[in-house]
Amino acid sequence: MSSVTSTLFLSLSAPLLALYVAFMVYSQYRFNPRWQALEKRLAPLLSLPHLAVALGLVYLFSPGGMVYSAFAGIIGHAAPDWLGLPRKSLLTMILAISIKEVPFFLLIFSALGRQLAIKDWLLQGRALGYSESASWWLLVFPIMLKQSRLALLAAMAYTLSVLDISLLIGPNIPELYAVALYNWQTGFTSADQANAFLGNLLLLIMLATLITGIYLHEWLVVMRLRTNAVMAKPLNIARLSRVFTAWLGFFSLLTVAILVTFLLWSLGWNSQSTLSSINWSPALWQDEWFFMQGPLLNSLHIAFFSSILGVAITLLALELQQQSQRYLPDYIWLLAILLPQLSMVHGWRIAHSDLSASYTTSWIILTHIPFTFAYSYLVLRGPFQSLNRHYELVAASFGYTYWQRWWQIRFMLLRPALLSALAIAFSVSIAQYIPTLIIGAGRITTITTEAVAIASGNEQSITAVYMLVQAILPFIAFLIASVLAQRIRGSFDATHH
Amino acid sequence: MMWLTSKSAKALGAVKRPTNASGLLTLCFLSLLVLLPFAEVNAQDNPSSEASKRANSQQWQQTLASAQGETVYFYAWGGSKPVNDYLRWAAKEVARRYKIRLRHVKVADISEAVSRLKVENGRNSAIDLLWINGENFNFLKSQHLLLGDLWQQIPNSALLATKKLSLHSDFGVPMDGFEVPWGVGQFNVMANKGLFDHETLTPETLLNAAKQNPGRISYPRPPEFHGTTFLKQLLVALSHDDKRLYESATPTAQNELLPLLWNYLDRLHPLTWQQGKAFPSSNTEQLSLLQQHQLALAVSFNPNQLAKEQSEKRIPDSVERVYFAQGAITNSHNLAVPKGAQNPNGAKVVINFLLSEQAQRQKLKGNWGDPSVITPVLDNASTLPAQQELHSSWQQIIEDSWQQKYGA
Amino acid sequence: MLRIINCHISTDHWRIELPDIFLQSGELLVLTGPSGMGKSTFLHWVLGDTIKHANISGEIHLNDVSLNALSIEKRCIGLLMQDVHLFPHLNVLDNICFALPSSAKDKGGQKLNKNQRKEAAMRLLNKIDMGYVGEHFAEQLSGGERSRVGLIRALANQPKALLMDEPFAALDPQTCAQVSQWAFEQLHTQGVPAIMVSHDINNIPPEAQHLDLAKYYRRIAS
Repeated sequence: MSSVTSTLFLSLSAPLLALYVAFMVYSQYRFNPRWQALEKRLAPLLSLPHLAVALGLVYLFSPGGMVYSAFAGIIGHAAPDWLGLPRKSLLTMILAISIKEVPFFLLIFSALGRQLAIKDWLLQGRALGYSESASWWLLVFPIMLKQSRLALLAAMAYTLSVLDISLLIGPNIPELYAVALYNWQTGFTSADQANAFLGNLLLLIMLATLITGIYLHEWLVVMRLRTNAVMAKPLNIARLSRVFTAWLGFFSLLTVAILVTFLLWSLGWNSQSTLSSINWSPALWQDEWFFMQGPLLNSLHIAFFSSILGVAITLLALELQQQSQRYLPDYIWLLAILLPQLSMVHGWRIAHSDLSASYTTSWIILTHIPFTFAYSYLVLRGPFQSLNRHYELVAASFGYTYWQRWWQIRFMLLRPALLSALAIAFSVSIAQYIPTLIIGAGRITTITTEAVAIASGNEQSITAVYMLVQAILPFIAFLIASVLAQRIRGSFDATHH
Repeated sequence: MMWLTSKSAKALGAVKRPTNASGLLTLCFLSLLVLLPFAEVNAQDNPSSEASKRANSQQWQQTLASAQGETVYFYAWGGSKPVNDYLRWAAKEVARRYKIRLRHVKVADISEAVSRLKVENGRNSAIDLLWINGENFNFLKSQHLLLGDLWQQIPNSALLATKKLSLHSDFGVPMDGFEVPWGVGQFNVMANKGLFDHETLTPETLLNAAKQNPGRISYPRPPEFHGTTFLKQLLVALSHDDKRLYESATPTAQNELLPLLWNYLDRLHPLTWQQGKAFPSSNTEQLSLLQQHQLALAVSFNPNQLAKEQSEKRIPDSVERVYFAQGAITNSHNLAVPKGAQNPNGAKVVINFLLSEQAQRQKLKGNWGDPSVITPVLDNASTLPAQQELHSSWQQIIEDSWQQKYGA
Repeated sequence: MLRIINCHISTDHWRIELPDIFLQSGELLVLTGPSGMGKSTFLHWVLGDTIKHANISGEIHLNDVSLNALSIEKRCIGLLMQDVHLFPHLNVLDNICFALPSSAKDKGGQKLNKNQRKEAAMRLLNKIDMGYVGEHFAEQLSGGERSRVGLIRALANQPKALLMDEPFAALDPQTCAQVSQWAFEQLHTQGVPAIMVSHDINNIPPEAQHLDLAKYYRRIAS
C-alpha cells in the first residue's frame, strides 16, 4: 500500500472502529447501574494522552515488551515474534488510536444521549417484539451516527495528520503520510519545498475523501439498517455488544497497566532484568527532576493560560450567538480540530516567520487557543444552550439586570460544566506537539516535546519518566475539576437536563 | 522557579559529580601554568600556546565580555542520552565560567533547523549554534547562511588535530571556516559475539549471518544518516572500492555500480527484521531493539559507544564491535553559527569551550565517548582503520533510489 | 383474553391491592387516579419493563398463557405512549413496516418481500385515509396524525393486547375526542383487549370498564 492509501485506511478505520466499539459499550452501560461508574471514570480515562497509550501498548505487548516477556517466562522459552504486537506497523497504529478514541466517542454519545428519548425508543422497540440489542442498532444507532459526524471528522482529521505517534509506532515502509509531509515541510531542497506545497494540497484532498467516506459509510449503514427495520429482521452482530460489558474494567486495567509499566521502567526495570535482579531506585527521577522543571513549568504556564482563554472565548462566542440569535454552524467553531493540524500550523509558521515574531510562550499560548477553544466549545455548547431560561426569568422579575443575571445565575449554574471544559482544554494543551514544536522553534520545550524527543532515542526508562508526567498532568486537572465540582451543589441538574 | 532550580542544582551536584569537575579544573589550571612560560617563546609550533595567545587577544576578550549574560540556543540532535547528558554538563560549565546560558534545543533531525534557517533567510534567527555536517552544511554554505571566519576567531581551533585527521573538508566540501570540527565519527557495528567470525565484516558474512538468524538483522531506515552510511559501506565493498564513488556520480557510474547494491539488498531484505517491511527509525531505536534481543546487531558512528554502553551495563558483554573490512567510513561532525544568529558571541564562546581540552576529554572519557578532534586529547587506541567518505552527490542518489525501491 | 389477578403495588409509604382484571377481546379498561399512584408503574409492569420505584406482584395471563416470566419482546403486548415515538430516522411507511411481524406472509404462504411489506403498510394507512403521509417523517405530522399513525403502527404488530399511557393527552380537546373515539373503534373491530391510563375522568367511553386506583389506595402507618 502506498503512503496515501495506508494513511487513508488508517484514518477511516481507526475512528470508525472506535465509534462502533463506543456504541456497543454505550448500549451495554447506558441503562444499567454500571453507567454511574462509567460516567465517573470517563474523564480521567479520556485524559490519558494518545502518546502514552501508543507507547504503553508497545512497552507492554511488542516482542520484548513486559507482557510478552512475562508470557515467555511462563512457557519457558521465547514466544514467537508474531505473537507480539509489531513495534512499527499499521496494525499497532490502528489499535492504539481506536483504543484511545473510544472514551472520546463515549463522551460524545453521553452528551447526545441526554437529548434523545433513547429509553422510550427502546421500550417501543421491545414492545414491538425486538430484543433490546436489536433495538439499539435498528433505532438508536442511525440517529447517533448522523449526529456524530463532526466528532468522527475530528477524530479522522486528528489521525490523518498526527505526527508524534506516527513517528514512534507508525509503519515506515511506506511511512505514514503525516511523516512524509513533515519531512517535506522541514526539508530545505527546492524539491522538498515544492512537495510540501503540493503535499498540503493533497492532505486537504485526503480530508475531503474522508468526509466523503463519512457520508458514504453513513449512507450505507443507514440504508442497511433501514432495510433491516422494514423487513423486521434483527441484526446478527447485535449479540456482539455483550462482549463490551467488560469494557470499563478492561480499559481501566489497561490504563493502570500502562502507567505501572512506565513506573517500573522509570524505577530501574529494563529488558535485561529479571524480577529478582532489578536494582530499584528513584535515581532517574532525582536526575531528571532538575531538567524537567523548565519544560514542566512551560507546560503548566501554556496550558493554564490557553485553557482559561479558550474557555473564556467559548463563553463569549456562545453569548454573542445567544444575544444576536444568529447561530453559526458547529463546523465553523470546530474548524481548528476538523482541519489537519500539520497544514494549518505550517501556514502559521510561515506567517510567524514573516512577522519576525519572537519565540516566546505567548505565541505558543496563542497557537494552542484554537484547539482549547474548539474542545471547550464542544463540551460547553450543550449545557449553555439547554440551560433552563426560567431561572433567569425569575431573577429578571426580581429586578436584576442582564449582566447581574448572567453572572449570578447563568455563570453559577454553568460552573460544573465550565470546570470540565477547563480540565479538557488543559489536557488538550498539554498534549499539543506540532504547534509547540513548530512555532516555538523547539526553543520552548514542554513535557510533550521533550517526551517525543527522548522517545525517539533508545532510553525507554527516561521516556517512561516523561510519559508518566505527561499522563499525570491532565489527570490532576480532572481531579481538581471533579473535587471542585462536587463542592458546587445542585448545579448538575440545571446544566444537564 | 529560581529557588527550585538552585536547590535542585545543589542537590544534583552533591549526588552526581562531587569532585570530577573541580579536579579537572585544577588540572587544567596547572597545565596552563606549566605551558604559560613557553607561550611567548614557541608560539608557532605549539598549538596550546597559540591557542592561549589568541585567547588573550583583545578581540577575543571583547567577545567574552559581550557574550556575558547571553542565552545560546544550540540546535542539536536530541535522541541520545549520553549526548544530552554531555550537553547538560557543558551548559553548567559554560554558565559558571562565562555567564552564558546554553540551551540545548533537541531536534529529531537537524534538517529541521536547516529548513528553518532557509525560511528565515538570514533574518534574525531562532538558532545561535548548530550541530551539522554533510549535505546540511553544504546547503547552508552554498546559500550563504553561515557565519564565516570561525577558525580565525575561535582561539581553541588552533588545537585542532589537522595533521592527524582530515578536518579541512566535510564530505568533500571545504569547511572554509564556516564550521568547526567537534568530533569524529567512525562507522561500526555492535553485534552479538559469534554472529561474525572476524573483527571485520563483508557483505557475504552479513548475508550468511542473516540466513542463520532470520529476522534479527536490520539497519536504520534511510535517509537516516546511519542507514545511508550502512548502504555506502555495502556499496564500497560490493564495488571493490570503485574509484568513481569518490567523484561526482555520473549516470554511467550509477548504472554500473548501484545495481550491485540493489541486487544484494533484494537478497538480504527477506531475511531481515519484519522481513524488511519495517526498519528501525534511527540507530538509537535499533540499539534498543538490540538490548531487547530483537536484533543481533546495531550500527553506530561512535567507535567507543559499545565500551561505554557495556560499562553502564546497558548492553551485555556478549556483544562485540566489528567494522567493514574496507575500513570504517570516517567523517567529522561539526559546529556552525548561522548568519542571523542573535547571540553570535555567545555561540563562539561555547564553541571555544567545546574545543577546550577539558571539554574534549570529558566528551571522550565520559558516557558519550566521542573521539576528540584536538591534538592534546587524541585517542589512537580505539581508532579504527578509516575509509574515505563517498562524494556527497552519491548520498542523495542512494537515498532517493532506496526510497523508490524499498521505501514506498 | 387478558387476566390480571392478585396484583399488589406497594412502596414504603402506601399499598394498593387491585381487584382482579378480566378483559375479553376488544374490551377496554380505563385506569384513573391521582398522579403518583402507580398508574404508569402498573402499565410498565404489565408490559414487562423493569420496575424501579415500587414493588409489584401478581399474575398476568394472556389467552391463558402466563406472561410473568417472559421479557417485553416475547409478550406480544403493544404500547402507545403520549409521545408515540415514531422513529425519527424512518418515514411513516417504514415505521409501520418495522412493526409488521417478520413472519408476515402473503396469501400463498410466501414471506413478504420488501415491496410487499411496504404495500401492506400502505393498505393499513389507506384504510384510515391517511395514505398521503406514507413518505412523511414524524416531524412533518400534526399531533392528531401522529397519534393515529402510532396506533396503526401498534396494531400492525398484531399485538394480543394493547397498553396506552395517556395516548391523547397532548391533543387539543376536540382532536382528542375525535381521535380517541376512532381509536376505540379500531381496537374493538380488531378485537384487541386494551388498558388505558387516563387523567380525564369525564371522557370515558360508556362501554369501557373503569378502575379508579384511589379507591384501593392505603397509606402505611409509619
